[in-house]
Amino acid sequence: MNYDLILLVIMMLAALMTVLSTRLLIAAIGLALTSVMITILMFKLKSPLAGVFELSICAGLITVIFISTISFVKPLTDKEIDERTKQRIKKYLALPILLILIGIILIFIIKPTTLQIPLAIQETNVRKILWDLRQVDLLGQVIILLVGVFGIVVLFRDVQKETNKK
Amino acid sequence: MISLFILVPLTSVILLNLFKGSLINKIACWFGMLLTLVQIYLIVFPVTCFWDNLSNPLGNYFILNLSADTLSKVMLLMIGIVTFISLMIGQYTYHEETQKFNFANLIILALSGMNGIVLVTDIFSLYVFIEVVAVASFILICLYKDKAGFESAFKYIILSIAATVFMLLSIVLLFLISGDTTFTAINIASKNPTYGFILVVAIGLFTCGAFTKGGLVPFHSWLPDAHSSAPTSISILLSGIVIKVSGLYPLIRLLTMTGGGNESIKNILLIVGTVSILVGALAALGQNDIKRMLAFSSVSQMGYIVLSLGTGTMLGLVGAVFHMFNHSVFKSQLFANSAAVEKQTGTRDMNKLGGIAQKMPFTGTTSIIGMLSICGIPPLAGFWSKLIIVIALWQTAHYGYAFVAVIASVITLAYFLSLQRRVFFGKIASGLENIKEAKAGLIIPVVILAAVTILVGIFFPFIMEKLIMPVGDILK
Amino acid sequence: MINILILLPFIAGLFILAMPKKARGITGFVVLLVTLINLFITIKLFRTTAMVSFPWAGFGIDFALRLDHFSSFIILAVAGFGFLISLYAVTSMKGTEIYNQFFAYLLVSLTLANGAVLADNLVVMLFFWEGLLVTLFAMITIGNKQAYKTAVKAVVLVGISDLCMMVGIGLTAHLAGTLSMSGIKLGLQSSGGVAYILLMIGAISKAGSMPFHSWIPDAAVDANLPFMAILPAALEKLLGIYFLARISLEMFSLTPDSWISTLLMIVGGITILFAVMMALIQKDYKRLLSYHAISQVGYMVLGIGTAVPAGIIGGLFHMINHAMYKSTLFLTGGSVERQAGTTDLRKLGGLGAKMPITFACFIVAAAAISGVPPFNGFFSKELVYDGALERGWIFYAMAVAGSFFTAASFLKLGHSAYLGKINDGHKNVKEAPITMLIPMIIIASLCILFGLYNSLPLHNLIQPILGEHRLEGHHFSGFPENMMLVIVTVVVLIAAYLNHIFGVKKSGSGLGAVDHIHHAPVLSGIYDKAEKRFFDPYNIGLGIVNIFVVILFKIDRIIDWIVDNFTVKVTYVFTNTIRKIHTGDAALYLSWSLGGMILIVLYIIVR
Repeated sequence: MNYDLILLVIMMLAALMTVLSTRLLIAAIGLALTSVMITILMFKLKSPLAGVFELSICAGLITVIFISTISFVKPLTDKEIDERTKQRIKKYLALPILLILIGIILIFIIKPTTLQIPLAIQETNVRKILWDLRQVDLLGQVIILLVGVFGIVVLFRDVQKETNKK
Repeated sequence: MISLFILVPLTSVILLNLFKGSLINKIACWFGMLLTLVQIYLIVFPVTCFWDNLSNPLGNYFILNLSADTLSKVMLLMIGIVTFISLMIGQYTYHEETQKFNFANLIILALSGMNGIVLVTDIFSLYVFIEVVAVASFILICLYKDKAGFESAFKYIILSIAATVFMLLSIVLLFLISGDTTFTAINIASKNPTYGFILVVAIGLFTCGAFTKGGLVPFHSWLPDAHSSAPTSISILLSGIVIKVSGLYPLIRLLTMTGGGNESIKNILLIVGTVSILVGALAALGQNDIKRMLAFSSVSQMGYIVLSLGTGTMLGLVGAVFHMFNHSVFKSQLFANSAAVEKQTGTRDMNKLGGIAQKMPFTGTTSIIGMLSICGIPPLAGFWSKLIIVIALWQTAHYGYAFVAVIASVITLAYFLSLQRRVFFGKIASGLENIKEAKAGLIIPVVILAAVTILVGIFFPFIMEKLIMPVGDILK
Repeated sequence: MINILILLPFIAGLFILAMPKKARGITGFVVLLVTLINLFITIKLFRTTAMVSFPWAGFGIDFALRLDHFSSFIILAVAGFGFLISLYAVTSMKGTEIYNQFFAYLLVSLTLANGAVLADNLVVMLFFWEGLLVTLFAMITIGNKQAYKTAVKAVVLVGISDLCMMVGIGLTAHLAGTLSMSGIKLGLQSSGGVAYILLMIGAISKAGSMPFHSWIPDAAVDANLPFMAILPAALEKLLGIYFLARISLEMFSLTPDSWISTLLMIVGGITILFAVMMALIQKDYKRLLSYHAISQVGYMVLGIGTAVPAGIIGGLFHMINHAMYKSTLFLTGGSVERQAGTTDLRKLGGLGAKMPITFACFIVAAAAISGVPPFNGFFSKELVYDGALERGWIFYAMAVAGSFFTAASFLKLGHSAYLGKINDGHKNVKEAPITMLIPMIIIASLCILFGLYNSLPLHNLIQPILGEHRLEGHHFSGFPENMMLVIVTVVVLIAAYLNHIFGVKKSGSGLGAVDHIHHAPVLSGIYDKAEKRFFDPYNIGLGIVNIFVVILFKIDRIIDWIVDNFTVKVTYVFTNTIRKIHTGDAALYLSWSLGGMILIVLYIIVR
């Protein structure tokens, strides 16, 4: 019984639900479900710390932020939902074709390879990896954080001023 | 000391934000220009105490594996030049001070990210810094917060995510076969013949990601919208350096790491390059908006660079890098010209413009120089790089591709001539009789860039030996 | 040091070009300063040797400059003329629109001339030589609104000869195996001879000899005067004959018994005669002078073509002498033009009393060009006669006949412009300003100096060019050895004077002094046709070209349709399709990307 494959299929379905649904709340829950599936997979692949990060941040924090933001938003009326669905149906026609093609490609890649994949770095000490081996990435993360801060300032600050004026 | 390229912009942003005040807002742009000038200076005049010093200001706590070989130095020079021009144009086109301040900060952070891209020795760090630049670009594109800006930023985000997915897939495969993500480990692993097929697939996927970031057909679709709806100083940054440093530079690095790519990869590069050249040029012919035409022109020129890489020879690599350098110079100049035109006339629609050259002589003249360079007219710089590309193609017996490259120059000439004629020559359009030449702040960068184009063209043999041919050393 | 000679005038020229029209003062100052510096450097470098070389464009094309005696002498002469003519032009062109442009082009020409003289590599020299075409065109075009056609004619004619020279250079390089000029030593057999002839065509056409000469008289009328004084009169002669000397003396070895030497002498002789006959009948001051410029080149070519020491020395001496007195003559013409407002000889007259200094300089220069002792022209012509006589009496006869007509036409010119009745409109004409007079006076005095004290130039400038071994122990300075030649010259001069008196009596004015020659039976027909440009090779060429033009026009219509209509429509079909498929829909764009990726991966798998 290949549990991994089942988990992957559930994850794909959750992701599809996120993308296809017309109600934002369902989408946010779908996102959380996808993250949970990934977490389980990570635990199975023997990287517990990565799983913990994934669960707490993606499935936890981000879902909380999304749902709290969604609660500010007015839901669509049923009429709008129908119109939206009709518009988008055409785009989904490509989806099954794409999936089949990707499947074919994967079969071609996975089958002929008899390579011996060497095991990845055996370090399980996250602190050591993060601090000793990946310092440049940390620098990059700091820069991205600052960029993100500025992004929020640029995008949202004036909006705040406008709402204040009102 | 190379790490200062990343650390100094970062700390300067932190410092700029610690002290509040309108004075800080005013000097932010100038401060950024100072940083870029220092960067250019360090490349052009090799300061040995800077380059040879392998120590790190952060001491033993923080070891950064950075290295700067000849290709990185050329890229650093390009980054410095384009960012300087972008900041200068930005200084004189934004009206609100907070906007200018945010713009300057984001540019300096992007500068830090771009420097990081060209200095790292590890493919995963490369990805991290590509993301830095991408996120900075998203915000910058919608700086004006208008509808077009948001729409273009959205498209860019979506396609950038696609690119990221491709690149990550590829990095994962490479990580699996080499056990480590550094360039040297990948190089060693690529020599192992058992991994042949997976390696090619990994390179192919990374190439798709690089194509998307670099704006090659059919992954280019975000480019016309993003480059035309963004504020012009951002367009300069995007078209002049971001597409190269986050798209083509990783591609070059990967190809040289893994030994130049095998036949199928080279064929992909050749085909995609040719298609990009043609589609970009043909699409540019029918445009009415100056910046959209310039954006499609960027697509076309990126095609030239990829075509040159597809030859797989050292001359091809040299030609590609030289063309990257030339393109960043003249594309920045053309966009800066469009900034001047837009500021003075208030419109970018070519149907409404006409005969501006009489009122704006500097803009008109430098526009001609930029146009001649991009079409490959001797003795300007563009001619030499296109010549090297065509020679490289000829030497590897790709006669058909060489022919297409030359024919596409004709189409390039056609759409640029139509741009010149519709915007600068002819009778002055109604309503535009009273425009004056743009202020000095918008003219000086254009004149500098035009001078660089001319000088690089005239002193080409000298530059070829000193600056460009050493790039070929990275193949050894 | 020599690099400054090339860089400085070039940069200064560009700087002036960028100057706004109002900054005349700065332009004038910069020009004078730069030409003066140029002169100082060349004086300092005189008689030294130096070599500079660095790789330039691969394939053995090095940027090599060589300074030896000959080239240092020529650049000194070029610098000297550059400075003096600039001094003249700063005043004479004051108030004209083209002030800045003229000086910019002048400085750039100076650069190119310096570079061409100093170059030691054939390709580098060609680069500078061809560059002179551009400034030639520019300087003629800015003369007046209709000067464009003349400029095109000049460029076409000089361009064709330059093309011959290019082929010649290619052939020479192929034969010698190197592009470095100091390393080439070839013989004149078969292909060497062909290469020599091609190079020779380029050199003598630059100097202005027939048959590529017809642009010079037109330029004399259309272009402005300082240009005429420096370019066709001085610079081009110096460059052309310099290159001719280089190829005859160093790169190939021209010997008296080769047919090429005879060819050169024939070309020289014909040029002398035909040009001076045309000069005789001109009614415009400047046109007359320009025909003489062409004719005198004939003497130089004849001299070098004799391939005997006396002739070569004579030809080279004549080169520098001619540059001096021809530019003086043009400068006097410029003075007259500026003060009296016209150069039409029918309208001029009696200016000698009003403009005494100009008249004096004119007399000196005219006497020098006619070969009157003891001016410099006499001595160089005697040397040329000596050499020509050694090779054959017919060449001597052609040269002497040329002298006769030269003297006759200058008597006519001087009489009609400076003597006789003064025109009504010119009663208030004053002498030209002092800054315009100084260059004239300096050069005219040099003419006298070089004549009286002719061992100075001969020993220091000319003879070292040939080298001791070739001189075969002759002395060339001092009074000419062969008294018979001197006697013939004096007889010819007296005959010309008598002819002039006869002509004046017959026609009643100075201008008509040569009318009896003009209207002589056979000659009048030829003259009429020549004035209608019947013999002008350019016009003949144009006529032939015209036939082709009509045929090609018809073919062109068809090609036009293919290129203009058909291709454009096809291209726009593609363009519009591409425009339409860029719908702006983000999902569509994403699917393109994914589609592309799938195609690429499939391609990799299949291969």
